Amino acid sequence: MSGYRFDRLKILVVDDNQHMRKLVVTILQAFGAIQIYEANDGESAWTTLRDANPDVVLLDWQMDGMSGLDFVRMVRTSPQTPNPFVPVIMLTGHTHIDHVRQARDAGANEFLAKPVSVKAILTRLISVIEHPRPFVRTENYFGPCRRRRASEEYRGPERRSTGVTTSLDDPPEPAQDKHFERTS
Amino acid sequence: MTKESPIEVFMPPNILKTKVGGTIAGLDMAAIKRAEAAMETLKVEFTDWIAKDIARLGEVRDAFAAAKAQGTGDDLFRASHDLKGQAATFEYPLIARVASSLCKLFDELKSHDAIPHAIVDAHVDAIRVIFREKIKDISNHTALALVEALEARVREAVERASHKD
Repeated sequence: MSGYRFDRLKILVVDDNQHMRKLVVTILQAFGAIQIYEANDGESAWTTLRDANPDVVLLDWQMDGMSGLDFVRMVRTSPQTPNPFVPVIMLTGHTHIDHVRQARDAGANEFLAKPVSVKAILTRLISVIEHPRPFVRTENYFGPCRRRRASEEYRGPERRSTGVTTSLDDPPEPAQDKHFERTS
Repeated sequence: MTKESPIEVFMPPNILKTKVGGTIAGLDMAAIKRAEAAMETLKVEFTDWIAKDIARLGEVRDAFAAAKAQGTGDDLFRASHDLKGQAATFEYPLIARVASSLCKLFDELKSHDAIPHAIVDAHVDAIRVIFREKIKDISNHTALALVEALEARVREAVERASHKD
């Protein structure tokens, strides 16, 4: 038993498919969540983010109008963002590794491929609660650190001037970004 | 030596942990069982839900056939993408696979003009048949043969398009 008080969390579920929203909301309610907000597109999600200040966002990728990817970029970098640090779990039917990279590079904390399972949703929630990532600001990125695990396994040279030592995330980092090259 | 841009790394306060309290020692099996039981109660609605998703797919397919444009193509992609992600949850894994094949057609052929209507129609029809016949078994030989034939046609279409580029 975790003893988590999910009833204290405000969770925003953004999906343009009402059936998927109902499914996810039902699962969250079974975990004990009661403060659940729903949005069927990026624009109304943005309004809810401003008005309700949710603690976690579960976000679909493919939506009419603003995509989930655009939304998470806006959350992280818009001057008007109510909370650039809010954890975002991207739910999507996309399964290709390139899509995982795109979601990560936009600033999503976690990636959850559909079909969703109860266990997968709980695992991602636990991850953002128990293992929050440091935030990184570079010239062209602001968001959660794109390396996954703090690690004692890392044996390579220190690459950041700030002295943060982490292992490298999976999936493998794009080769063109030297800060995410695999070095050991 | 190249001068690197400055990188700022910082850890925001863990508000979530403060709010939910507690500690975790593995997954909360009681919570998982509760959620799975809740999903069971939803199952009576799954047939209705997937029927609506398939009806929507048919509508956007018709719109795409009437006017092949970026907007109608995007609608068709999103409708098939929804089925790709949800049909397995709604107990129709082969529909998810057909929808995935249709998504691949749109993903790989960047121009919607290049998308053959006949292949789109074959996918939509296959989805309708699998649903009408209530084929939920992933090993159904007839349905599997149909799915594999569709996937092969998508591969061929993608290959043909790549030779034209």
